[in-house]
Amino acid sequence: MKRLIAALLTLGFIASAAAEEAITLRSTEMKAKPYSDAQTLLTLPERSKVEVLQRRASWTQVKSGKTTGWVKMLSLQLVRGTTQRRADNGLRSLFNVAQTGRGGSNVTTGVRGLSEEDLKNAKPNPQALAEAQQFAATKAEAKRFAMQGKLKAQQVDYLPGGER
Amino acid sequence: MRTLVLMMVLSLSVSAQAFDFGNFDLEKAVKTVQKIKKANEDVSEPQEIELGSGIASNLLGAAPLLDNPEVQRYVNRVGRWIALQTERPDIPWQFGVLDDADINAFAAPGGYVFITKGLLARMNNEAELAGVLAHEISHVLRKHHLQALKKGARSELFSDLANDAIKTQGGDPRLTKLVSAGTEIYARGLDKQDEFESDRMGVVLAARAGYDPYGLPAVLQTLQSINPNDSNLALMFKTHPSFDKRLQLLADEMTPALDAYERQPDLDVRFAGVMAARK
Ligand SMILES: [Zn+2]
Repeated sequence: MKRLIAALLTLGFIASAAAEEAITLRSTEMKAKPYSDAQTLLTLPERSKVEVLQRRASWTQVKSGKTTGWVKMLSLQLVRGTTQRRADNGLRSLFNVAQTGRGGSNVTTGVRGLSEEDLKNAKPNPQALAEAQQFAATKAEAKRFAMQGKLKAQQVDYLPGGER
Repeated sequence: MRTLVLMMVLSLSVSAQAFDFGNFDLEKAVKTVQKIKKANEDVSEPQEIELGSGIASNLLGAAPLLDNPEVQRYVNRVGRWIALQTERPDIPWQFGVLDDADINAFAAPGGYVFITKGLLARMNNEAELAGVLAHEISHVLRKHHLQALKKGARSELFSDLANDAIKTQGGDPRLTKLVSAGTEIYARGLDKQDEFESDRMGVVLAARAGYDPYGLPAVLQTLQSINPNDSNLALMFKTHPSFDKRLQLLADEMTPALDAYERQPDLDVRFAGVMAARK
């Protein structure tokens, strides 16, 4: 467990010395706690700049001036170039994915990945497909896995179509 | 419509006899009607799976599978658990991580779902992974790729497959062409409305599976904040509606319908543990 935590710290999962910034997309209430019925600390007007501290479900903890509170995640737009940590959970160095996404610059960055041409000229690889098949999960395995994570299945209706 | 065509053919055959047009071939006419009827139908489930496995094989020809069995098994478990909450729990669902730095995800007919390691590397917890997989699962549920094939340049071949004129066994070159056309859809993208529909369904499926449903919008928000000139996002930008639009629609659709589920777990520690454990 200690080793896991150490690994997580190294990867930056737990440390949250973030200096991310975001802009409010609409006028937004800042709450004392991440709940709709929590006390409203203040109302941020549209296009307010805030500092992002952390996210919890549909809520994001932000700092505006001297006030810290929670606003709805989807009323924020992250500012490009300030979100390096968020966009990098540490897996990128682990997986040897190039350090990309530094905002501001107009230079095209990144290791070239799957291109249109690759997809148009793709040749089958049945061997890789068979290999992938080995990792498939049975229903029983999936259910056990969900139980281990304390995931509880819910009855939720599909949402009605939005703008068509 | 079918009835109308049938009536026309029947009346034609009657008049053919009445006016003695001689060699009018009733049998052929009926067959034509049957073919028209069949062309309006979809491929069978085994045909869908066969087509999908061909497309999946092509995808793996374009990008290799990530050599990390633990991550592959983990992604399969998350995906299969979500698939169990859907209207198609019994198709042979299969998930995989591609060893590719691009930020993308792919679904193929019949239950094949792949995400790139470039996308996985930008996620923060299991609920985010669940949201992305649930979006892809929804493409399979709604058969979006089959619809694109049906409407595309190879629609004739699609009807032939539906019509059983193409056998899935025996290496019919027409099936290979159809599989190629299916793979090319990833370079072109699906209908925008299909993407919005998968977003809308994906957040619900994540909630059904017991996850914080805000994982998918959280990923979209992360991607929105990446420099749009990043070449790893080029194909995603070309083939998907803008992150702004997708997030705006989700914001309107999710509140307040999914508010009741926002305290469901995101399993960040389990996710981090799997990602940190190198084989
Ligand atoms: Zn999609």
